[in-house]
Amino acid sequence: MTSQAELRAARLAELPFDVSMSAGPKSVGGFLASIKEIASHRQLLDLLIRRELKSRYKDSALGFFWSLIKPLTQLLIYYVFIGTVLGASRGVPDFAIFVFSGLTIWGLYSEIIATGTSSIVSNGGLIKKIYLPREIFPLAATGSAIFNFFVQFVILVGATLVLGRFPVSLDLLYLPAGFAIVLIWGVAFGILLSALNVYLRDIQYLVEVAMLLLFWASPIVYSWSFVVNAAKNHTWLLEVYLLNPISLAVLAFQRGIWEAGSETVVIDGNTIPPQVWPSYMDLRLLVCGVVGILALFIAQRIFSRLQGNFAQEI
Amino acid sequence: MPSVAIPNAPTVVRATNVSKRFVIRKEKSLKERIVNFGRSNKHKDDFWALRDVSFEIKAGTTIGLVGANGSGKSTLLKVLGGIIEPNDGAVQRRGRLAALLELGAGFHPDLTGRENVYLNSSILGLTRKQTDDYFDSIVEFSEIEAFIDTQVKFYSSGMYVRLAFAIAVHVDPDILLVDEVLAVGDEPFQEKCMNKIREFQQEGRTIILVSHSSSQVESLCDRVVVLSHGSVIFDGGAREGIAALRESFDH
Repeated sequence: MTSQAELRAARLAELPFDVSMSAGPKSVGGFLASIKEIASHRQLLDLLIRRELKSRYKDSALGFFWSLIKPLTQLLIYYVFIGTVLGASRGVPDFAIFVFSGLTIWGLYSEIIATGTSSIVSNGGLIKKIYLPREIFPLAATGSAIFNFFVQFVILVGATLVLGRFPVSLDLLYLPAGFAIVLIWGVAFGILLSALNVYLRDIQYLVEVAMLLLFWASPIVYSWSFVVNAAKNHTWLLEVYLLNPISLAVLAFQRGIWEAGSETVVIDGNTIPPQVWPSYMDLRLLVCGVVGILALFIAQRIFSRLQGNFAQEI
Repeated sequence: MPSVAIPNAPTVVRATNVSKRFVIRKEKSLKERIVNFGRSNKHKDDFWALRDVSFEIKAGTTIGLVGANGSGKSTLLKVLGGIIEPNDGAVQRRGRLAALLELGAGFHPDLTGRENVYLNSSILGLTRKQTDDYFDSIVEFSEIEAFIDTQVKFYSSGMYVRLAFAIAVHVDPDILLVDEVLAVGDEPFQEKCMNKIREFQQEGRTIILVSHSSSQVESLCDRVVVLSHGSVIFDGGAREGIAALRESFDH
């Protein structure tokens, strides 16, 4: 007769050992192993995303609507003050759709980075007590940001449908391209900064300030044509501007959903030519994506070097 | 011998020359770091929490880690659990591991007890399906049915611990790490916990226990490792281990 204890012993004898030791500079293998480990925890990832979404507006009467009120207020402010008062909408057709498409994709990026950066520190209680692949925390922050993004995106698409401006063309393919780039770079920065933030808490405040600045470094409330005009005599400046992956992603997103940008429109008797989208835009997006994956790889390697001491530094 | 003896028990945990150094920095902000840049060594202290610790644990044993405060017990437990990486040496382990290090670590105060059961079981490695199966049994063990749909921030500390312990013992661990947590809850619940631990021993699970209670260690453990200043000074039977521990206090 074999007892339960003996059965367990026999099963354990078959299992391979997991080793934990001081992390060396493991290369591609380590990256793939981490991805595999995260994939095996995807149910947990799912629960953590739900937790993040549920707990954020728990006990508030309007709850989840708060996550919509913020971007809609932003839209209102930019529409009224920049669009109407400062007159930007005279040069940009369908200004509301233009601004909201930029705000939506930018909101995704800034939320991934802002919540990602503080994710490790704010989950310190768990990290100090239980072993989990720690990348799961910035990824859970990303997941909840994606959820908020999709809610906004549905509103954006709804608005274009109501206004009869939903673009039916191949340009729609720019939407997933822009989304993918924001996701890759957002996760890369989120993972990297979340690890650095453990050692230097100043990072999370620095990120807040940097995001404020970067918002104006992308064509969100002003149009790409405006940038082209402003840098007419120094075309190299445009190239520098486009090096920012998010500027490129914002442009791709606008090209996808903002139909009026690609047509000739007449506003108040002024004829506005279609946007001169950057040359080789497809190629640029492709390169940006590939470089982004490389950045993600490097960020994850740095993360895994730093995570060994998380439990004692938090 | 409190646990059942298994012939040819396989090794489940093997620590080889494990050392862990803590660097204690005295400054933390950017300003302080820049001001003290280059002189930073003056603002650092090295501290070896573990020094060259090696041992093996066979499946089915209950092992007590004891030592004075600050001797490295909890650090060792965390290194064994993979929560912190050693600076030197390696830890090998196999089988499902559950840690009872400060119960309820994974609880989110704003979620209900039910939601936390699912979250915490998932953190400890159960699938959703398995949690569904165990759910009633978890709630029954914790004896807090009436409050399972209340947010856990309204729980008393006793209720908190009951629920957390109930989850931890239901995840079917092969190795259970226990850090000073059995002294919680009221007497009947403590008794229930001890019974559960004995049941675990009968089922051939490996238990690694950190405790200051000599009587608890003596009654539960079949082996004791005594730590002092990060090194193992004794490794052997429970009674002799307690004696060695007492002796180490005198030095």
